[in-house]
Amino acid sequence: MPQIFPAYANTVARAAILGAVALGCLGIGLLVALPATSHVTRQDIIVEQPVQFSHEHHVGGLGIDCRYCHTSVEQSRYAGIPPTHTCMTCHSQLWTNAEILAPVRRSLAEGVPIRWQRVHALPDYVYFDHSVHVTNGVGCSTCHGAINRMPQVRQVAPLTMGWCLDCHRNPAPNLRPASEIYNMEWRPPADQRERGGRLLEHYGIRSEHLSDCSRCHR
Amino acid sequence: MSAPPLTRRQAALALIASAASLASCDRPEEEIVPYVEQPERVVPGVPLRFATALPLDGYARGVIATVHEGRPVKLEGNPAHPGSGGATDVFLEAELLALYDPDRSRAVREGTRIASWEGFLSAFLPPMRAASARGGEGLSLLTGHVTSPTLLRLIDELRARYPRLRWHAHQAVGEANALAGAALAFGRPLLALPRLDRAAVVLAIDADPLGPGPDGIRHGREFAARRAARREGGGFSRLYAAEPAMTQTGAKADHRLALPPAALGDLAAHLAARLGAPLSPPALPPAAARFLDAALADLRAHPGEALVVTGEWQPPEVHALVHWINERLGGAPAFVEPPGAAGDGPAGIGELAGDLRAGRVETLLVLGANPAYDAPGELDLAGALRGSQAFTVHLGAWRDETAALCRWHLPEHHPLEDWGDLRARDGTVSLCQPLIRPLYGTRSAAWLLGVALGRLDDTSHGALRATWSARQEGDFEAWWRRALHDGVVAGSAAPAVPPPPARLPSLPERVAGDGLALALRPDPTLWDGRYANNAWLQECPKPLTRLVWGNAALMAPEDAAARGIGDGEMIRLELAGRSLEVPALLAPGTAPGAVVLALGHGRRRAGAIGDGVGADAYALRRAGAPWSAEGLAAVRLGRPGGLLREQPGQRLEGEAKELFQTLSLDGFSARRSDPPPAPSRPPSLNPDAARDTYAWGMVIDTTLCIGCNACVVACQSENNVPVVGPEQVAGGRDMHWLRIDTYDLGTPEAPSPGFQPVPCMHCEHAPCEPVCPVAASVHDAEGLNVQVYNRCIGTRFCQANCPYKVRRFNWYGYADGQEYANQGAPVLAAQRNPEVTVRARGVMEKCTYCTQRISAARRAAEREGRPIRDGEVVTACQAACPSGAIVFGDIGDPASAAARLRQEPQHYALLGHLGTRPRTTYLAEVSNPNPALDDGAA
Repeated sequence: MPQIFPAYANTVARAAILGAVALGCLGIGLLVALPATSHVTRQDIIVEQPVQFSHEHHVGGLGIDCRYCHTSVEQSRYAGIPPTHTCMTCHSQLWTNAEILAPVRRSLAEGVPIRWQRVHALPDYVYFDHSVHVTNGVGCSTCHGAINRMPQVRQVAPLTMGWCLDCHRNPAPNLRPASEIYNMEWRPPADQRERGGRLLEHYGIRSEHLSDCSRCHR
Repeated sequence: MSAPPLTRRQAALALIASAASLASCDRPEEEIVPYVEQPERVVPGVPLRFATALPLDGYARGVIATVHEGRPVKLEGNPAHPGSGGATDVFLEAELLALYDPDRSRAVREGTRIASWEGFLSAFLPPMRAASARGGEGLSLLTGHVTSPTLLRLIDELRARYPRLRWHAHQAVGEANALAGAALAFGRPLLALPRLDRAAVVLAIDADPLGPGPDGIRHGREFAARRAARREGGGFSRLYAAEPAMTQTGAKADHRLALPPAALGDLAAHLAARLGAPLSPPALPPAAARFLDAALADLRAHPGEALVVTGEWQPPEVHALVHWINERLGGAPAFVEPPGAAGDGPAGIGELAGDLRAGRVETLLVLGANPAYDAPGELDLAGALRGSQAFTVHLGAWRDETAALCRWHLPEHHPLEDWGDLRARDGTVSLCQPLIRPLYGTRSAAWLLGVALGRLDDTSHGALRATWSARQEGDFEAWWRRALHDGVVAGSAAPAVPPPPARLPSLPERVAGDGLALALRPDPTLWDGRYANNAWLQECPKPLTRLVWGNAALMAPEDAAARGIGDGEMIRLELAGRSLEVPALLAPGTAPGAVVLALGHGRRRAGAIGDGVGADAYALRRAGAPWSAEGLAAVRLGRPGGLLREQPGQRLEGEAKELFQTLSLDGFSARRSDPPPAPSRPPSLNPDAARDTYAWGMVIDTTLCIGCNACVVACQSENNVPVVGPEQVAGGRDMHWLRIDTYDLGTPEAPSPGFQPVPCMHCEHAPCEPVCPVAASVHDAEGLNVQVYNRCIGTRFCQANCPYKVRRFNWYGYADGQEYANQGAPVLAAQRNPEVTVRARGVMEKCTYCTQRISAARRAAEREGRPIRDGEVVTACQAACPSGAIVFGDIGDPASAAARLRQEPQHYALLGHLGTRPRTTYLAEVSNPNPALDDGAA
C-alpha cells in the first residue's frame, strides 16, 4: 500500500494543532483584552465638537467654577450642559466677533440648539446620579480628570462597571472634603487613609451596601 | 417595494452579515442638545409636577401630573381635589396613554380627504352667516355633559346670538335617571352626594358606588374611612347590596341579594311601604323578604346614620322612592344643584335624531360626543346622520364613528394639551392647564365656539381667562396662579341645598314580561366605549369576571343550564326585533332571570386597538328605558365565544380560607387586644436577612381593597409594562406586575368574593434566587428581590419556582420591537418613564417595589444628609389606591405605618408556611355580618 501522506505531513499536522491552540488563545485573549481597550471604553478619544470650547482656558485660565455652566450638578442626575444663553452672558461682551464663536451666535440668533457630541456615555441601563456623588465627597476630577488642563475634553476613566465598583466597594481613597469637590487640582493627601475613614463617617456612607445591583440599575 | 423576497438562505446570510457588521461597529455617536434659553425652573433630570383635572362624563377629577422634560409620564390624584382625593381610578391612569394614542386624529378632513383649517373656515362661515340671518333656525349643537364654566359661557353666548339654536347633550351613561328621580321627589333636579363615611348602615339597591364612575374614587375613600377595623379605628359600617349581577359593591357587601332589575324596584317599594308609604307592591321571594327585614331593622336602629342608595340603572320612580325613604330614615345625603347649564338645559339625543330625520337640521356642530356609536340602537342615529343633508362638523380627538359620518372632521386637543375648566360632582371648580404642547395641529372646543360667534382668533387660554377675570374681584393674577397651582378653586363647591320634603312618586304599572331581563351597565374599564382604543384598559382584567379584550353576557348558571348554554359559548340575544351575538359567561351571583351586558365594546372606528373588540350592546339599547328591558331571549349558537380571561376560575379545596383569610368584626374584636400572631418561621438553611439598613415592606389591607384595578394600571403606567394583546392572553401570557386575585368564599348560590392584590412578595428567603443559574435574581441589602435584566438568560426557573406566580417573562419583545398592534409607534416612546428600564425580549421581570421611587427618595435623603422619612416612598400602586389599602414603608422602623400594621391581630403572610418570609403581607378581610341574617353562608 503506497503511503498516502508525504513525510512532511507530520510537521504540518503539528503546526496546525499548535496554530489552532495559539489562535484560540489569541482569540480568547482578544476577547478579554478588547473591552479594556479604548476602542470599547472610548477612553482618551478626542471628539470633534461643533465649537472648539476649551475647558483649559475657561477653567484653568479664567478660573470659572464648574457650577457656573453645569448648574444642576448638585440637584439632578445630569450635571447639565449650559444653554446657549449662558455662553452669551460673557460672549455678548467678549470676543463678540470671534470666528470660533460663530456657531454660538448663530444658535442664539436662530434659536437652534448647539448639538454637542457626547464624550462620557454610560449605557442606558445605568442610572448614574451626579448630585449624590458631589454631595457625598466625590469630586469632579475623580472621574473626569484634570478638566482644567484639557483644551478638548476627553474621557479619562474607562467608565466600566469594574471601575465603578472599585470605588463603590472602597470609596475612602477617593473621598474629599466638601470644600474640595470642585477643585480640579486636588490630590489625596499623605494621610488620605485616615481622612477617608473620617469622611466616610462624615458623609454617612455605608459602603457595604454600595455594590447592590439596585443602586445603579432598575 | 417590488424587490423579490429573500430566500431563506439569503435571509440567513444577510442576518449573519448584519450581525457581524454591527458587532464590529462602534457605539453610535450620541449628541447632547441643551436649550438655547433654559426655561425657568426646568432642571433636566428633575421632573416637574403640575395640577390639572380630567373629565369623566363631564365631571372633574383632579390630577397631579409628573412631567419629565416636557413630557407627562405619570398621573396621580390631587389630594386637594374632592373628586380624586389624591387617588386615581383606571380611567385617570389610562388617560395618559390616550394622550399618546397613535390613532389620535391629526388632520382636518372633509369627508375622507385631508383638508386645511383655512378650507374649513371658508366652508363653515357662509352657512353660519346664513344661520345667523335666520336667528339660528336649523342650527344644532351636540355636546356631551358640559360642566365647564367657560364652555357654558360660550354656549350661552352662542344661544344669545342664535336664539333658535337647538342645543342637545348626550351622555351614554350620565345621570338622567337620578336627576329625573330627584325632580319627581323634590320638584327640581338635585344632585345627591351620598357620604359613605357618615353612614353606619348602607343599603345599595342596584347601586355600585364603589364601582367605576365620576365619583367612584371619593366613594372608595369614604367607604374605607368607615371600614377601619384597626385599634384606633373610627367605626365599622355595614353594607347591604341587592343587585342583578355581582359588582364591586356587592363583593364588599356584608349581605348581598341577587334580584333581577324589576324586582329591585319592588324591593324599594316594600321598604317604603314598611316605612309607611301607601304602596302595595307584589310580594317578594322569601329570601328577599328576610333580607329586607334585617336591613330595615338595621337601618331603623341607626337613625341619622342610615343611607339607602340606588344606581343610575333604576328608573326615576325608584330614585324618588329612595329619596323619600332616606328622608324617613333621617340620613338623607347632601344635595347640590347639578353643575351644568342653569335654566333651560339642553335637549336629548332623541330630539336630535327626530330633527335630523325631519330635515330640520341644516348645520350641526358635534363637540365631544360620539352618538353614531353610543346612542341607543333604537334611534339609529348613525342612519339619521348618514341620511341627513346637513352641514355636519365634528370636533374630536379621534376620528370616530360620528366623525366618519360628518362632512367635516376637526382634530381636537387632548385634555392634557388644553386649557379649560371643569367642575367636580360637588361643584368644585378646577382650572386645567396644558402639560405638553399639542402633539398635532389640533384645536380646542373654545376655538370652534369662538368661530361660530364670529371671533376667529379665540383660544381656550383667552376664553378661560375671560371667564374668570370677569368673576374675580381683586388681584386676578394672584388668584389665577393660586388656582392653577392648587388644581382647585378654593371655596367653589356648590352650597348644599336643603331639599324640599320628598314626595312619593306614583309607581308605574309593572309589565311582567316573559323571557329574560336585560340589564346594561357601563364597562368597568372602557366606561361607555370612549376608552375602547386604550390598550391598558382593554387588557386590564375586569373586576370579578377577569375578562379582558371583550365583553360577555353574564348569566345565572341555572338560566344557562335551562337553555343548554355552556360557559363561554356564543349566544344570540334577541330583543324586540334586534339581536346581538355575544359570548355567555356563567357568573355566580347573577340573579336568575337577568342577563347583564357591558356597554362600550364592539367599536367600529375606535382605532387599531379597539376596533371590533367585543359586542356592541348599544344595538339592544332603547331610548325610553336605556338600562333594562324585559322579554329578552337567549339562543344558543353552539360555537365557542372566544372569551379571554386572565386567570379563569378554579376550584380550591379548602386552601382558599388559608390564602384569603377572613374574620367577622366580632371575631376581630375578640382578638383586638391579643398580641400579634407570631410569624410562621419554619426552619431554614438560608441565613436570616440582615437588618442593618431600611427594610422595605408592604402591607395590603384586604378589608379596604375594593378591587377597582387602579393599582394595576398605575403600575403599568409607572413601570413601562407593555400590553401583550389578545392572542398572547389566549396563550396564558400577560405582563401585569400586579394582579388582583379574587377568592370566592361563599357558595355557588351566594358567592362572597374577596379581593387580594398580589405584587411581588419580595421574600426574605426568595425561592426564585437559588434556582437562577446566572444570579439574575438577587437580593439587595434593603430587602428588595431585584431582577438584573442584563444577566437574565431566560431560563424561567425563577418563574417556575415562585409560589406566588408574580414573575412575568418577555416571550416576545412586547415593549421592544414586537409590540401589539400599534403599540410600537414612536409617539408612545414619549410616555415611557425614563426612570425605568424598558425590558427586552427574553428576560424575566416583576414588581420592583418601585425601586426607582425608593432610589429617588434615597438620593434626596443622601443629598440632604438625613434618613428617608416614613411615607416618603410611595409606590405607584399605593398612590393610586382610592381606599388606602396599600401601605409601604420601612418595616424595620417600629414607628412606620407599615410596621404598625404588621402588629395588627389580623395580619398574615400569604403562604407563610412555606418559609419564604414575604415582605408583602396582608391583613385579613374583616366583615360585619348582621347576626339576624347569619346562616353561616354570608
